[in-house]
Amino acid sequence: MAKFVAKRFVYMIITLFLVFTATFFLLASIPGNALTMKIHKLPAQAQERIMQKYGYDKPAGERYLLTLKNVVTKGDFGESIAKSGDTLGSILQKRLPPTVRLNIQQMIVGVTLGLILGIIAAMKRAKAPDFIILIFCMFMTSVPSLVIALILQLTLTGPSGLLHLPIIGWPKGKDLWFGGWQFTILPTFAGALFYVAGYARTTKIAMLDSIYQECTTTARAIGMSETQVMLHHVVRNSFIPIVTFLPGTIAGMLSGSLFIERVFSVPGIGSYYVECITQRDVPMVLGFTVFYSAITIVSIFVSDVLYGIVDPRIKLVSGSSR
Amino acid sequence: MAEEKVMTPQVEEEAVEIGKNWKANPHKWTGDPNQPLLEVKNLRVSYHTYAGEVQSVRGVNFDVKHGEILAVIGESGCGKSVTARTIMSLIRHPGVVKEGSQILFEGKDVLSMSKKELSQYRGGDCGMIFQDALVALDPTMRVGKQIMENLRIHSKMTKKEAKEEAIRLLDVVGIPNAETRFRQYPFEFSGGMRQRAMIAMAVACQPKLVIADEPTTALDVTIQAQIMELLKRLRDEDGTSIILITHDFGVVAGFADKIVVMYAGQIVERGSRKEIFYNPQHPYTWALLGAVPRLDWENKQMLRTIRGTPPDLVAPPKGCPFARRCELCMNVCLEEMPPVKEFPGEGPENHGHSAMCWLYADDAPAEVREKAEALRVKGGEGHE
Ligand SMILES: Nc1ncnc2c1ncn2[C@@H]1O[C@H](COP(=O)(O)OP(=O)(O)OP(=O)(O)O)[C@@H](O)[C@H]1O
Ligand code: SF4
Ligand SMILES: [Mg+2]
Repeated sequence: MAKFVAKRFVYMIITLFLVFTATFFLLASIPGNALTMKIHKLPAQAQERIMQKYGYDKPAGERYLLTLKNVVTKGDFGESIAKSGDTLGSILQKRLPPTVRLNIQQMIVGVTLGLILGIIAAMKRAKAPDFIILIFCMFMTSVPSLVIALILQLTLTGPSGLLHLPIIGWPKGKDLWFGGWQFTILPTFAGALFYVAGYARTTKIAMLDSIYQECTTTARAIGMSETQVMLHHVVRNSFIPIVTFLPGTIAGMLSGSLFIERVFSVPGIGSYYVECITQRDVPMVLGFTVFYSAITIVSIFVSDVLYGIVDPRIKLVSGSSR
Repeated sequence: MAEEKVMTPQVEEEAVEIGKNWKANPHKWTGDPNQPLLEVKNLRVSYHTYAGEVQSVRGVNFDVKHGEILAVIGESGCGKSVTARTIMSLIRHPGVVKEGSQILFEGKDVLSMSKKELSQYRGGDCGMIFQDALVALDPTMRVGKQIMENLRIHSKMTKKEAKEEAIRLLDVVGIPNAETRFRQYPFEFSGGMRQRAMIAMAVACQPKLVIADEPTTALDVTIQAQIMELLKRLRDEDGTSIILITHDFGVVAGFADKIVVMYAGQIVERGSRKEIFYNPQHPYTWALLGAVPRLDWENKQMLRTIRGTPPDLVAPPKGCPFARRCELCMNVCLEEMPPVKEFPGEGPENHGHSAMCWLYADDAPAEVREKAEALRVKGGEGHE
């Protein structure tokens, strides 16, 4: 196990290095950045001096080595060009809580709804509820969450909306982690629907797999009703594929919530990241890209570890869930 | 004599004492002892597959009396498990039990029971031991809990009582350290232990009938003998009726009271154990018996194998199902279903011996009869 973790850690470092390098040179190859946009009206001499100050007079290779050195030794990706004073660390500190809360809420709502729909679809397979859920899932996976967010915003918010929810915004101060729910409902659901579809399908498939397992026949043979068989044996046996599916979706959701944060003006890292990209704020884009990659890689890693532990199947379940 | 032989030396891990009492409370008979406990009448079951309608069971009749052990024997795919499942009313899509089939348990038709009656019948009146305990037990649930589930469905036991009873049952079926084993998962058990746990689960509520579908196929010979001994005790001590399904004559020797021989979804011969072993009449039974190694073969006699394969059940032959493999096949065998011929056995316990074969028709040619006498397997001493 330790060896497995160590090996994966090395891979992770290599991957992050490659992401860093690729992002750096891609950004460098695009003409112009936040700085040129800011100073293009100044006289040429002044422009040159400012470029010098930020180090943009040097060739890309040299800048790359310098940045790499700072990142490795100090974890420093550099200061924002567009908003002086902002660094990756300071932004994370300020803007991580809304993002984390949003994602946790999305996950709880999405996974729960997905599980319920999946179980219903499996129990009523090939009947009306199954088809309705199937169509719903297909719709949800094919329509981007951005569009869903906009639709929700149009129909449910404001004085003329069905629920009179606030259009945009996010709880602050003492409500940062808990409270101010009216602000969080729509962003949560807009992002959660993506989960619902994925989980409903995974759950249904896992359940159908276990429904035809021999042990369900045994359960029937001792006099259990269909519903009891479902709840006592089928759901339980579907549990493992569902658990291992979880970390993978976390990575997927991070990217999904970028636009949701933007649509609902959630002051999280997602909306900031989108802003950085539109402004071509090179150091920040670089920093956030590496940060997102790290989270994705860690999620996948966790999922692999889960699989590894689950491999003789029952051990993990006995140790962790009961 | 048979009992002596099955008490073979025990393997270390499975070294357990068998012979504690099954009973927690004495078995109560309800109903008329002369009425059979179970009657299977004209049972026909089909599976609708892409290849067509597989006629797995084609008109099977038999009954089981109180405290009787019936062995159902036949090659792989002849419909034994489907018959067993139908008795428990466990046939699911794409399987269909055909119109006109009846399964009467104490006179009540199982196939038309309400959900509530079925729930009482399954596990309560009738327990089933499945072929492969590894897949039949829920891999994610503690063994003890699975046994408790059965008890909790059929009795008003509290959790604590059910737990105690489950531990007692594990102990009775010969699982050492029952308390520890209670908390383990099926994969932590050896094959023999799992089968024992499966038995404990099937008999937890003192069913009147236990169906054992090849309970020992996956086990080695020593453990096989122990499991059979365990089942026999269940009958001897509790008076439980047992349907034992197997493809191995060696397993039923010294165990069954009655034997039915199945072939391609039909019963081709039936009779008491003694009649089937000492006086078999159907060419397929001869072939099956000839395929079992026997102790009385002093010279290097060839073990007979049965050539060919059973017929396709999507389009079963209109005549005798065994015709294509039968050395005695006559023209009529290919054309028409053979009649059932009764053979009077000695003594009332050997009544009801019959075989489905054209050989015993009055107009069967003499030379075929002669050939049959040469083929006939005589004497079952080696088996018992
Ligand atoms: N779920 C199913 N779907 C389609 N066909 C089935 C199904 N179950 C059984 N059958 C068919 O029914 C026939 C009888 O099967 P069954 O399982 O009763 O055989 P068996 O006598 O128990 O054999 P074995 O000794 O291998 O267990 C087989 O031809 C099989 O193909
Ligand atoms: S009916 Fe004919 S083919 Fe069938 S077993 Fe008897 S002799 Fe053989
Ligand atoms: Mg079978």
